[in-house]
Amino acid sequence: MREILFDQQVQILSNRFFLPGHCLMVLRAPLSYGSACPGQFIMLILPGRSVPFLPRPFCIYGLAEEPECVRLEILYRVTGEGTDSLSRLHEGDKIGLLGPLGRGFDIDPAAQRVVLVAGGMGIAPLMRLAQAYRFLLRDKEFPIICYLGAAAESHLIGRDRMEALRADLRLSTDDGSTGHRGFITELFAQDLPSYRDSNTMIYACGPLPMLKTLAHCMIGSGLSCQVSLEERMACGVGACLGCVVALSGEAPGIRYGRVCTEGPVFSLSEIDWSVQDE
Amino acid sequence: MNKPDMKVTIGSLTLQNPVMTASGTFGYGEEYAHFFDLSRLGAIVVKGISLAPRVGNRPPRIMETASGMLNAVGLQNVGVKAFIEEKLPFLRNVGIPVIANIFGATVDEYVRVAQELCEAGGVSALEVNISCPNVKHGGLAFGADPRSAAEVTAAVKGVSSLPVMVKLTPNVTDIRVIASAVEDAGADALSLINTLLGMSIDIAGKRPALRNVTGGLSGPAIKPVALRMVWQAVRSVSIPVVGLGGIATARDALEFFMVGARAVQVGTANFINPRATLEIIEGIEQYLLGEGMTSIDNLIGALITVED
Repeated sequence: MREILFDQQVQILSNRFFLPGHCLMVLRAPLSYGSACPGQFIMLILPGRSVPFLPRPFCIYGLAEEPECVRLEILYRVTGEGTDSLSRLHEGDKIGLLGPLGRGFDIDPAAQRVVLVAGGMGIAPLMRLAQAYRFLLRDKEFPIICYLGAAAESHLIGRDRMEALRADLRLSTDDGSTGHRGFITELFAQDLPSYRDSNTMIYACGPLPMLKTLAHCMIGSGLSCQVSLEERMACGVGACLGCVVALSGEAPGIRYGRVCTEGPVFSLSEIDWSVQDE
Repeated sequence: MNKPDMKVTIGSLTLQNPVMTASGTFGYGEEYAHFFDLSRLGAIVVKGISLAPRVGNRPPRIMETASGMLNAVGLQNVGVKAFIEEKLPFLRNVGIPVIANIFGATVDEYVRVAQELCEAGGVSALEVNISCPNVKHGGLAFGADPRSAAEVTAAVKGVSSLPVMVKLTPNVTDIRVIASAVEDAGADALSLINTLLGMSIDIAGKRPALRNVTGGLSGPAIKPVALRMVWQAVRSVSIPVVGLGGIATARDALEFFMVGARAVQVGTANFINPRATLEIIEGIEQYLLGEGMTSIDNLIGALITVED
């Protein structure tokens, strides 16, 4: 059993808007978070019992080990009362932290190429993954190719940081303000056949329509892809059964997996995309 | 001063303290073993068990509401056979009473689940869910009508070698009528309340927030309703009553004891604070110490009311 910590008094080191509606929070997490796998997530719990009432799940965007703590970075968009309350917290405030939770990405030490497909905020777990790959395989030279799509150039989050990780960026925007005008999956689909030539690991995170399109692209490619999913959650530890996703399988009838425990990372082919609603 | 005596009895069942987990909010125990020593609980009430496994409802299944949440999980569970084989061995080793919450679509299904659990060994009592409002062919009909509530109670009691606690739905006109009917049918104890039927809308999409449209409301939002119903039930029956509904702190639990609950269950609060049950146990002990009470018995039914 992998250790899960619950600490009601974790210090916020910083919390700021870096784009309208988009925040980066840095937490002073316990040292054991150093062993959190890329793709694992945490729950943030605001004290009190009114709105927001339930903990909120966030994946880990960045992680830095320091002598006495781990600096955990969380990327979030203010979309409702919960994230609005989070955005109003300040440096020095305390927050509840539960984690690290769930099943993260599988990292292949023999990977010859790493391909990341990110839509908007979907960059968050992939950034941590790229960081982990560069650290774990630091003696090896291998390409990281990052497909990054957003509504407009200003929303291409994590672009600089990906470049610092020596990622080869392929960009798309809905409005054509930079890169390919259209969806990021269109760029990825063009290149996909060329990824069969070597040991390529493919990872994705983004909005549901993007992942559905990606699932369609991957059919018949002979390649697999790991995706990080998002769902409403209450407990984060597998008890409430609130965050389920329909899984594919031979057996008749629907079968569900919990995003919090069987996920949040699944193989793209594990998911029954035919029943996923937008 | 010595620690107060926290022991309570629910029929023939003795608990080291009066705090249990509520069904459906604590999985099968294992999920929370990370956070504290489970053997410190009064009892563990496990996720509802049916004869056959159930896949549950389509998502979205949960929605946050003011001081609470709606759920329409649809009684997803592994089924009684897998529960006994895969989940019960862990629970047996915890060393505290395990209460199996059971449900069925027919009286016969309740009876068969009860029989299998009584034979399995390692279960200390049954909690009969006659209340879950989520499933179209589920418990609603049993818990909302005194005759069907009595029928399923008598049938389970008839085959059970274990104490039988019946969990009531609050979605009724008069809880006292149901409580009395269940007592007359032979129940050893009552637990209440289950979730209140509710609804929420995603106004951007003009759609229900839950795929099932309606769901069960839980959390601090429902505590005053739960407390009122427990108070009414205690005054209507002579069997022990276990109170639940929105209990998140020791203060909340103390209110339920004062109106006469012999034990409490903690549900949704586990999601916000995985150690909520433990903090509640400690808080009750501190209150008793502060009041100079030597036993939890001094507190149960200690409510002072002025009759005009």
